[in-house]
Amino acid sequence: MHKNATERSPDHLVSRRNFVKLGGAAVALLSDGVLTKRALAGRQDRKPRPGNIVLIYTDQQHIDTIAAGGCRHVRTPALDRISTSGMSFAQSYTANPVCSPARASVFTGRTSCETSVYKNGIAIRPDIPNLGQWFSQQTDYETFYAGKWHLPRTYTSRIPGFKVINTGIGGFGYLCDTAMSRACEGFIENRSKSKPFLLVASFMQPHDICEWLRLNMNNPGELRYPQLADQLPELPENFDFDRNEPESTKKRRLGNEPFKGKWDKEHWRYYRWSYYRHIEHLDAEIGRILTALDRRGLTKDTLIVLTSDHGEGMGHHQMVRKSSFYDEAVRVPLLLCWPGHIAEDKSDRVNLTSGMDIMSTLCDYAGIRPPTNMIGVSLRPILEGGSGASREFIVSEGNTNTGRMLRTQDFKYIKYVDDPVEQLFDMKNDPGEIRNLVSDSHYAPTLAAHRRLLGQHEARLDVAADIPHAEFWRKRG
Amino acid sequence: MAKQKRTIVGENLTPSLLIELGGLEEFPSTPMDFKPDGNWVNTYRIWTCHGYRESGNEDVGSLRITRRIASKGTFVLELRQEVVQTDDLTNVIEGTIKCRLNQLASPVEWRLSSRFERPDGKVISELGTGNHSAATESVTHTAGDWCLFEAVQRLAFDKASSLSFDLLEGMSLSKPGHRLFYRRTYPMKTDGQSIPLHCFAQFGTGILPYEYWLDNRHRLLAVISMNKAYVLDK
Repeated sequence: MHKNATERSPDHLVSRRNFVKLGGAAVALLSDGVLTKRALAGRQDRKPRPGNIVLIYTDQQHIDTIAAGGCRHVRTPALDRISTSGMSFAQSYTANPVCSPARASVFTGRTSCETSVYKNGIAIRPDIPNLGQWFSQQTDYETFYAGKWHLPRTYTSRIPGFKVINTGIGGFGYLCDTAMSRACEGFIENRSKSKPFLLVASFMQPHDICEWLRLNMNNPGELRYPQLADQLPELPENFDFDRNEPESTKKRRLGNEPFKGKWDKEHWRYYRWSYYRHIEHLDAEIGRILTALDRRGLTKDTLIVLTSDHGEGMGHHQMVRKSSFYDEAVRVPLLLCWPGHIAEDKSDRVNLTSGMDIMSTLCDYAGIRPPTNMIGVSLRPILEGGSGASREFIVSEGNTNTGRMLRTQDFKYIKYVDDPVEQLFDMKNDPGEIRNLVSDSHYAPTLAAHRRLLGQHEARLDVAADIPHAEFWRKRG
Repeated sequence: MAKQKRTIVGENLTPSLLIELGGLEEFPSTPMDFKPDGNWVNTYRIWTCHGYRESGNEDVGSLRITRRIASKGTFVLELRQEVVQTDDLTNVIEGTIKCRLNQLASPVEWRLSSRFERPDGKVISELGTGNHSAATESVTHTAGDWCLFEAVQRLAFDKASSLSFDLLEGMSLSKPGHRLFYRRTYPMKTDGQSIPLHCFAQFGTGILPYEYWLDNRHRLLAVISMNKAYVLDK
């Protein structure tokens, strides 16, 4: 069980920790207002730090949606620019393929069952600081937020640790992302260049594909715009699916629009074409922010991080939306660029990364320690060309704490609560996750090893109170 | 508490569906002397749909476009768009666009501002931007999204009416490779009467398909793209 806020609070106070490190001189300087928090941080870590940080957070973005990354169905000049100016991670996984839980993990570096956010619409446990609170306490970066929050309110003008410059509109990325990016543009253009900032630009797109699904559920039987016939993307190679999946995966598929609306392959392809247009809409709005940074001459001194809360089914395994542990839902883009500091136009295909790493990485770049008990690790050593110890595995949790995905370099293991069907995929030889190896005796030792790793992971978690199925997972540790 | 019943709409939005979903009562009648290439004012509600019949469908803003004939071969569009966000923060885009009198209403020069207002009407000065630009003489292949609200009213209801262009969305975001074409005549039933509407469609990079719905007098009554609709207001 988690420690209460009183027990943990000393760790969260920058002054106390730094006072201990620096001694009495610091007390005198701080009291005179001469020694800033930035200076204190500098004493701890003299690595260069960016003047500003922009975290671009997208909603429901499939990893293969960037032209520079090889996707030939989209035009994405802004995403291309971030990608080619910096480094991308191909083995990047969300901590939870559902909106609020994923967001809580990105903003705290902790797992869903630790943050309390095991499903949508729950606030982060109060004794765990979010990125804005931590940066406000520990650095001189002013912290700003624009767009979707969803912890618990989706759109709000009150977010702990952040000054909210734009709230967005409930559910409509097609409209609210434009207003949000215009607010970010105005913020960047009007702000004094001498004041460092951390800006979170949290886009709704391409999440509007959910509205698209509801407005296109019924199979029209013919292509709505025959002029598009030669533009429709092909179906994915893993369009088919295993009939012996876990029950929750089967239920999710049957409950979604394609099965209710009896889609034919042409409608599936039109859905994929439409999803790419959502991506392009998002890309243009991201481009507005990049252009504003250029105009203000801030690009060279700004660390840009881009990731998404979860992916999108896109017809792989005949799935749409999120929530599953297949790669289309659980693997997300992760791009970082800071000219002159992060390797340019490089794609890391080796290291397993998690959304939980973003908090640690940003703390590292800001020259501060992350909060205690972090699961995420800093990616800075990898980004700056060091060897960076490749972690053995990462874990994603499932909606309502009913599932776990454990990914090692070569395999993916999936387990749900009270479901006898487990899944094990050879990700090197079967990246489409077609063949479940659980019943293959040749892989029995691999399966046992993955179960054991999951147990070890569960044993180290500081699980919040009142999390459903906590006991089920605890016993596996 | 019982969960509210939510029925999935299942189909693309059309003017008839807007009536069913509460997004439209009836379109205002077009004045007898309405001329697409004259002076006029069209004001639209911006209505959005979550894809359910019972909930989440609402007005979130407005768009007013005023057309003024300017010098020979050009005209001016005065524009004011308001989008109201959560906690009543409003984004106002206002300004003028001088356009060529060609099929695309290609922008010649424009001056637009974006500002954010709090519920009490106070402007948040830190978030405002201005955009003043001019296109070169040779730029005739570009159309602004708001300019298309004007241009489409001057097109013939004819399968031959087809335009290819690059879109300048919000007079700031470049989206190449667009096509706008006449799609069909569509009878809209309201109060027992059947009103013929004419539909143009547009698609290209960076947008979901747009459909422009006009009456017999070539007045633009509604613009629908996926989950949003601009509906001509009374």
